[in-house]
Amino acid sequence: MRFLGRRLAALVLLGIGITFVAFVLTELVPGDPAAANLGQRAIADPAAVQAFREHYGLDKPLPVQYVLYLEHLASGDLGQSEQSHRPVRTDLSEFVPATAELAVTSILIAFVLGISLGILSAVRRNRLTDQVLRVISLGGISMPVFWLALVALYVFFFKLGWVPGSGRLDPGVLPAPHVTGLYTVDALLAGQFDVFVSAAQHLILPACVLAAYNVGLLTRFTRSAVLEVINNDYVQAARAKGMPERTVVLRHVLRAALPPIITVGGLAFANVMTGTVLVESIFAWPGIGQYAFHSATTLDLPAIMGVSLFVAVVYIVVNFVVDILYGVVDPRIRVA
Amino acid sequence: MSAQPLPLRFAGVFSRRPGTLGSAWRQPLAIAGMVLGGAWIAIAILVPLIAPYNPLAQTSQLFLAPSASHLFGTDELGRDIFSRVLWASRLSLPLAFFLVTMAVLIGGVLGGLAGYFGGWVDEVVMRATDLVFAFPTIILAMAVTAALGPSLRNAVLAVLVVFWPSYARVVRGLVMSLGQSDYVSAARLLGASSRRALVVDVLPNVAGPVLVLATLDLGNAVLLLAGLSFLGLGAQPPTPEWGSMVNTGTQYFERWWMGTFPGFAILSVVLAFNFLGDSLRDALDPRSSWAVQR
Repeated sequence: MRFLGRRLAALVLLGIGITFVAFVLTELVPGDPAAANLGQRAIADPAAVQAFREHYGLDKPLPVQYVLYLEHLASGDLGQSEQSHRPVRTDLSEFVPATAELAVTSILIAFVLGISLGILSAVRRNRLTDQVLRVISLGGISMPVFWLALVALYVFFFKLGWVPGSGRLDPGVLPAPHVTGLYTVDALLAGQFDVFVSAAQHLILPACVLAAYNVGLLTRFTRSAVLEVINNDYVQAARAKGMPERTVVLRHVLRAALPPIITVGGLAFANVMTGTVLVESIFAWPGIGQYAFHSATTLDLPAIMGVSLFVAVVYIVVNFVVDILYGVVDPRIRVA
Repeated sequence: MSAQPLPLRFAGVFSRRPGTLGSAWRQPLAIAGMVLGGAWIAIAILVPLIAPYNPLAQTSQLFLAPSASHLFGTDELGRDIFSRVLWASRLSLPLAFFLVTMAVLIGGVLGGLAGYFGGWVDEVVMRATDLVFAFPTIILAMAVTAALGPSLRNAVLAVLVVFWPSYARVVRGLVMSLGQSDYVSAARLLGASSRRALVVDVLPNVAGPVLVLATLDLGNAVLLLAGLSFLGLGAQPPTPEWGSMVNTGTQYFERWWMGTFPGFAILSVVLAFNFLGDSLRDALDPRSSWAVQR
């Protein structure tokens, strides 16, 4: 419990730190935020400018502004997008489910594939399979993901026609009633199998593209984690009992190698978020990655800060969960 | 009496088993990395001599597919993509080297101070690294660049902001563990000053891990800069830059050559640095070795 408490305290501190970074970055921006935020209205409507300045305390000293900023955040106010002229929070809540669906699928693919390849690599260490897998995994972490997306879309959609092009569903297909916002899950819940198939077809290519980096990372990580334990005494004992090698590896080796692999989870999440910013717009995937991309290219600062803040908060929560999971998987550092 | 235990001084740089580093360089992966990286460095130096066209010269021959006269085709302004891809190396490679050097210097000094002095110095530096690590790299780099205004200079600054902490942490950890090690205590007991102990006994052992990290980060720097330019936050047109060229390629989807070749340039450069960094790690840390494990 003590461990949990310390981690929670660190989580809160880090959260406050993140808001501080976002606040400082917002302060760096040259020019008048009221004019930037209100656009045309700033010239036509002095009262709106005045209201804006008062709302954000722009005429007050910086520490007071920061406290006001925190108050706004606490009530869920992330400011107004300069592009959509809607609250950033409204934009985010609209786009989060699409990214969540993509990110979760991609991380699942990466873990299954990465751990399998890593085990294979370790079992066949120093043989040809291992060397080939080493080059492949280094290729995965060297790949500019936005380029991979472009090439994959060109080959599998444009040339081969194996996957549908862009978006989350075929034209004319309506999403199942909104429950989770994840189209595949909602479709299954509603029992609409055709919608599920369409959603899954649209999901598979972007999810695989986003998984490339993490597959490389996890292959390497799993390999070294497995090699750490593969010749331990208890593993030898299992072999000596006459247990088939497959069972030895899957039951005894993997069990011991799993905790370090789990710690990659946080990093894997960060990589996927990085990927969505660069890739979603190529697939016309209506998630926060595409939102961030459009905000970046149009310099919509409140939106950029909103996305950054949101992703950072989710990221530290993910890291927290990974820490807890680590304790669950490794009995030596049980949380309770 | 010498205060320097010679065999251990370079323990981090050269493996205790003689010849390990030498043989690491003869591995296929290291050779591939050197050839690829060397080729790109040669291209960056010689590009005025080898690029067939002016990378900025616009012609009326728009969207030409790759052919003998335009190896990689032409873009939406009729510029030769082959020449632009080659010229872009002059931007990305020096910037990557500059960035990593600066990150090593800043992170190394801060981490060294934190590890050596501990206390509040350590606390301040480490909390700062925590803050940077709380963001996925490109998210923070994107926010920093957008706040400062989109330009190549600000993108470089942003990458620096996200890169220094890993060096600070590695150097801090090493300095801390080495600072308590017997051979440093021995040196201090023999009368070596703290500065001498730091420079002569600690620094050489920090060099190895930092070198591995720096080599891998050369690739990461190229990737991140290209990513920021892809977002329109880095190099501005008409400067030839790989990331922004891929971005243009996404707008002309059917003209596959516009995005494919610049992206391939990124991949090959990053791959070269990753091959080298990985081979280096093998040589310096036998435990994580992909190579011979007896």
